[in-house]
Amino acid sequence: MIQKAIQVQNLQKCFGEFVAVKGVGFDVQQGEIFSLLGPNGAGKSTTISMLSCLLAPSGGEANVMGHSIVREAQAVKASIGIVPQDIALYGDLSARENLNFWGRMYGLRGGILAKRVDEVLEIIGLTDRQKDRLDKFSGGMKRRVNIGAALMHKPAVIIMDEPTVGIDPQSRRHILDNIKELNSQGMSVLYTTHYMEEAQELSDHIAIMDQGKVIACGTHDELVKMVGELDRINVTINVEAEKVLADWQMTEGVQKVFAEDGHLTVLAEDSNLVLPHLFESATRAKVRITSVDIQEPNLESVFLHLTGKALRD
Amino acid sequence: MNLMVVAFKDLKRVFRSPFALVMMFGAPLLIAGLLYFAFGGMMSGGGSFNLPTTRVAIANLDQPNPSEGTFKAGEMLIKFLKNEDLADMLKITMVPDEISAHSMVDQQQADVALIIPANFTQAAVAPEQTASVLLYQDPTLTIGPGIVKDLVNHFMDGFSGAKIAVKISESAIQKSDKQADPGLSEKTAKQYADYLGNSSHAEALHIVSPSGEAAQTESRSAMIGPIMAGMLVLFVFFMGANGAQSIIREQEDGTLARLFTTPASALTILGGKFVGVFIALIIQTVILLAASALIFHISWGKPLSVFLATLSLVIAATGFGVMLMSFIKSTSQTGPILGGVMTLTGMLGGLFSNGIPNIPEIMDKIALTMPQGWAMLAWKLSLAGNGAGTIILPILVLTILGILFFGIGLTLFRKRFI
Repeated sequence: MIQKAIQVQNLQKCFGEFVAVKGVGFDVQQGEIFSLLGPNGAGKSTTISMLSCLLAPSGGEANVMGHSIVREAQAVKASIGIVPQDIALYGDLSARENLNFWGRMYGLRGGILAKRVDEVLEIIGLTDRQKDRLDKFSGGMKRRVNIGAALMHKPAVIIMDEPTVGIDPQSRRHILDNIKELNSQGMSVLYTTHYMEEAQELSDHIAIMDQGKVIACGTHDELVKMVGELDRINVTINVEAEKVLADWQMTEGVQKVFAEDGHLTVLAEDSNLVLPHLFESATRAKVRITSVDIQEPNLESVFLHLTGKALRD
Repeated sequence: MNLMVVAFKDLKRVFRSPFALVMMFGAPLLIAGLLYFAFGGMMSGGGSFNLPTTRVAIANLDQPNPSEGTFKAGEMLIKFLKNEDLADMLKITMVPDEISAHSMVDQQQADVALIIPANFTQAAVAPEQTASVLLYQDPTLTIGPGIVKDLVNHFMDGFSGAKIAVKISESAIQKSDKQADPGLSEKTAKQYADYLGNSSHAEALHIVSPSGEAAQTESRSAMIGPIMAGMLVLFVFFMGANGAQSIIREQEDGTLARLFTTPASALTILGGKFVGVFIALIIQTVILLAASALIFHISWGKPLSVFLATLSLVIAATGFGVMLMSFIKSTSQTGPILGGVMTLTGMLGGLFSNGIPNIPEIMDKIALTMPQGWAMLAWKLSLAGNGAGTIILPILVLTILGILFFGIGLTLFRKRFI
């Protein structure tokens, strides 16, 4: 019995002088949803390109369902379903024809293929639009077919590269519910995203990536504990942040302050105790606070804590 | 078999594309059809064509000497021009004098004015006399006045010939110390006039057009065959490159990368795409051959020759297309390269000069530096009814070139994707 769906050890990828992935390592257990969370350019897509045997690693090793991505590429490909970041389908074919084609590429034929197409159309909620050409679909509907194509051969592991980028909230909700449903049926999911909320909602385990490295890995709760039980206070002022930065860093109860232009992010043990001092300090410095937003500890706080920058950067 | 899965998917997409359908079937048949009707129209109607009638105003000022009897050369000329054989070409109007004749031309009531001089009959019978018929014409016209001039010259040449003959006869009679008949010139001129009047001169030459529907069809087929072959070769080569372009398009659309994540090998995927192009071109060629045979009554040749020419054409076009596209990095480059290279190689290959007479021989040699030129040669030989033995050289050259091009293209694509 294989315990780990994906096992990654010191995986590296260089493009000439540029090192895109710098010794990444993580494990995905069977039947779990594992998210790679990080900003654009963090190395998430390059990592999954190596795991799906599209790119040969420059160093390190990875196994998918017990098969080496270097030595057993065909076996790896047969056990995974890939959902690329961009829609990779044929717009001049119908939804059914697209699913038919991708099913055939995985060896499905005849009645088995037809039955599976029906099932997948049901899963992605497009049974009534199955005969329509794909280029008549909305972006969200195309993304659902994009996922459906990866499900045709009932893969043990599904790898999704930011499948909700640029779609409407309704389609996004549908996709996230689909992923949970597939996972409940036993499918392992490796999910990359730069949306903290998605990683938080879906994942059993999360690896946070930045600049080609995994900078933190664990469950949501484990990661949040890395920043302690700190509240995150986002403050906007009407002048440059430097006018209050030094004073706020010295304020009792404040752990860290990050400043950029007129925006400051304060990590504090208890926002209720700290906020009056911050207002007093601002008043003394003749600075006007224009907005305050208090957030409980979350993955954004973790990323900020570890990298000194916001996840959206 | 994944190779055929990819191939049939590509075929389905090709035959759903309006652009591909137009370029595969519509454009070659349409262009050949336009040429067919352009040339075919001229050949219709029993092989003749109609000229506009030329309006001729004639002022007959001829004043025969009563001593010359009933012979009147001026009237003979008018009778000649009014001959019923010329009725479709000439419309004769008689006017009393030269001024009236000129006036009709000036007012565009006549195309040509013909002034027969007063001494016309005398000049016709008297060996020493000459007379000039005056032709006054609309300067914007060329063909009609030219015909009138030629007819008058023809008539006058007869009198000149008669006068020469009389002069020689009289000279010969004088040398033999005998007395010549004083009315010899007049009699000769009369005989010549009777000869013209009977129109029996026209029977000496028969111009015969191919008669019957079959012969006419054969003639059209001989003309349209090479033109259609040129279009066939041009558009099959174009579609070969256009089909191979789908590799670049799939790369940009991300579907090629997705295909590479399936268990099918990269070689199988690329092979499937090339097989798709090959099958599409076979279908294109067969349909074009059948449609043109049906529409234009082209007889493409002996079955084996047609089969070999088709196969070698498709191999060469697929190979050429794959090689051409292997040099291209993005679809933004394909338009100019596809159009430019196909037009240039097609021109050099002689695809656009079929049916043009008197092409310099060097052009035939230049054509054979291009695969299209060899394809054209194969089809011309097949159209001429040659057997496989005769067309084997272009078939072999095309096949070898196709395999060579395909090898180069495949090597470059493999370097890029595998």
